[in-house]
Amino acid sequence: MLQSIITQFLSGFSVVAILVIAALGLAIIFGVAGVINMAHGELIMVGAYTAAVVGKLGGNTFLAIPVAFIVVGLLGLIIERGVIQWIYDRPLETLLATWGVGIILQVVIKLIFGPELYYVGAPKILEGGFRVIGRLPFPWYRLFLIVMALLLLLLVFYVIFKTDFGLKVRAVRRNRAISGCLGIDTARIDMTIFAFGSGLAGIAGAVLAPIKSVSTAMGFPYAVDSYMVLVLGGVGSLWGVLTGGALIGEAETILSFIFNNVIGRLLVFLFIVIIIRIVPRGIFGYSERR
Amino acid sequence: MKDAPAAKQGVQPRHRVYRAPTFMPLWALIGGAAVIAVIGTYPYYGSNAYVLSLLGKFLCFAIFALSIDLIWGFTGILSLGQAVYFGIGAYFVALSLKINYAMTHPTRYGGNFPDFMEWNGLTELPGFMTPLISTPFAVLCALVVPTLLALLFGVITFKRHIYGVYCAVITLAQSLILQDFIIEYQAYTGGFNGITDYSNYATPAFLWVILAVVVVFFVAARALTHSRVGTVLKSIRDNDVRAEFMGYNVANYRIFVFCASAFMAAAAGALYAAWVGIVSFLDAGPVFSIEGVIWTAVGGRGTIIGPFIGAFLVKGAEFFLSGVLASWWQIIVGGLFIFVVLVMRDGIVGTIGNWLRKRKKGATLHQIMEDSDQKAHDRQLDWQPGGPPPMDEPVR
Repeated sequence: MLQSIITQFLSGFSVVAILVIAALGLAIIFGVAGVINMAHGELIMVGAYTAAVVGKLGGNTFLAIPVAFIVVGLLGLIIERGVIQWIYDRPLETLLATWGVGIILQVVIKLIFGPELYYVGAPKILEGGFRVIGRLPFPWYRLFLIVMALLLLLLVFYVIFKTDFGLKVRAVRRNRAISGCLGIDTARIDMTIFAFGSGLAGIAGAVLAPIKSVSTAMGFPYAVDSYMVLVLGGVGSLWGVLTGGALIGEAETILSFIFNNVIGRLLVFLFIVIIIRIVPRGIFGYSERR
Repeated sequence: MKDAPAAKQGVQPRHRVYRAPTFMPLWALIGGAAVIAVIGTYPYYGSNAYVLSLLGKFLCFAIFALSIDLIWGFTGILSLGQAVYFGIGAYFVALSLKINYAMTHPTRYGGNFPDFMEWNGLTELPGFMTPLISTPFAVLCALVVPTLLALLFGVITFKRHIYGVYCAVITLAQSLILQDFIIEYQAYTGGFNGITDYSNYATPAFLWVILAVVVVFFVAARALTHSRVGTVLKSIRDNDVRAEFMGYNVANYRIFVFCASAFMAAAAGALYAAWVGIVSFLDAGPVFSIEGVIWTAVGGRGTIIGPFIGAFLVKGAEFFLSGVLASWWQIIVGGLFIFVVLVMRDGIVGTIGNWLRKRKKGATLHQIMEDSDQKAHDRQLDWQPGGPPPMDEPVR
């Protein structure tokens, strides 16, 4: 029993990695631009379809990652220019508008690719697995997911904290009006951030495609999970993404193993509710003075 | 709102004349009576059973949309899981009807309990479901359980100032989990197929019951929103901090209206299950919840009649157009979300109201409301009007 729980704990790392990868783009869009992007799941889905197309054309996941970043980033740019730029001041309504965008994306993709499922294979060198403990092997691709999550986190850390662009982003986040007075084009920052976050969603889709069958409805559960990660970890904090993802991922894996999938999810949900009952703004959320 | 009538008489009043709003203007009474008459007498002049069943369905949807309007349009709580309460209400009634139906109609293997339980390996009605044999008790459960759940939810979240986006996300997850739960425990809920094949009440008499409930709820909602409590609710929507400073217990008002709305949604679900004769996990899922939000938005949030119009228009269009347009209809629905948010923010009723007010050159009430509404929304993210707060410093 203990051994199987340890095995579950280890395989939980890959669930954590998936959550972190899926939530990163959202954390940036939600945390900096303040947009509640309900189309996030659909952006992940488009990324996965991009990976499927790249796979059909003979590429593999390593090639699909940059392609998906560019394709979905451009898509995000179009969405931002077309819809979201008019409603930055009404966060709750961005939720409705992006939900509409999500529906349209789903239908358009279904019209183009048809209703059937697509399967994307993992790259050759990541096939198979290695044994850590117990009998079940730990797939190489899962290890790749964990590495990928860490790399993406590092990338976002680098962009936000080490580049000129990141400095402006943090300035806008702290005080939009003053940043505008200092000559930062805040609308441009919002636009870029939305496109960047969308691109990250695209990467998530490309990376997740080999472990999921690619369909138009695949994205929505990821979007809800990502929001739970943000709510638990605290909006606008990268540490929050990591912590929230780690807690939810591990708890869900182990509880699902002990009980079943649904009970596991239910318990995790109750756990999240209890945590934010104690810290309403999430674990790494800022405290608010009223 | 201006001093137009007094100016006509040549007297310049020093203050704006305040006229208390009438509870229900004459045109609304006449219009409402006409609509009730048209729907209520349909069994006499119409013979299309399909249209009849749609009418009853739409009336239930209208109550559901009204319940969303009450919390979203009037109090500013956006719930994306209102279908949880609708679904629980529907499932209680459907289970009870199904159990009763099964007692007189034995299944293929001779069991006198619901067939889906038999398929899933149960040999008799589970003990905890025996009270549901009594339909009145099931109806009571259908109304009380969702209300209590809403109370629990309200006490957990609103008491800790969790609302806005957080509330929306938690309610969404709630609804997703309930949906999974229903699918997983199919021995008790019918699972993916839902509960079907029981004797439902698709009779003219039951249409009148639904109609009566609709009228009661609409009048009650009108009374609530035009009462003192309603004024407080609107002030919470517009600026909850100020409402709190004025001494109102904002959390308790929120909990109250959330429970009332859950009660309404549950009643709608109970009627729906009895009328339609099929309940599935979709009726408790997030998609249905958000559909309700879009009906309210299209009709006009913050108005009593808006949800009614929105539910009938959107759902009606879906029933008549989705067959013709196939998946293009989905694109129209998606576009509708964007259109309502970008262009027609007050919905149909609100837009007409604004237009009438402009013609009268009266105060553009909705503009004022919009402004403060916007500020309230800014606040709901706890962000300064112009942008997000500092990462590590408290907002002043």
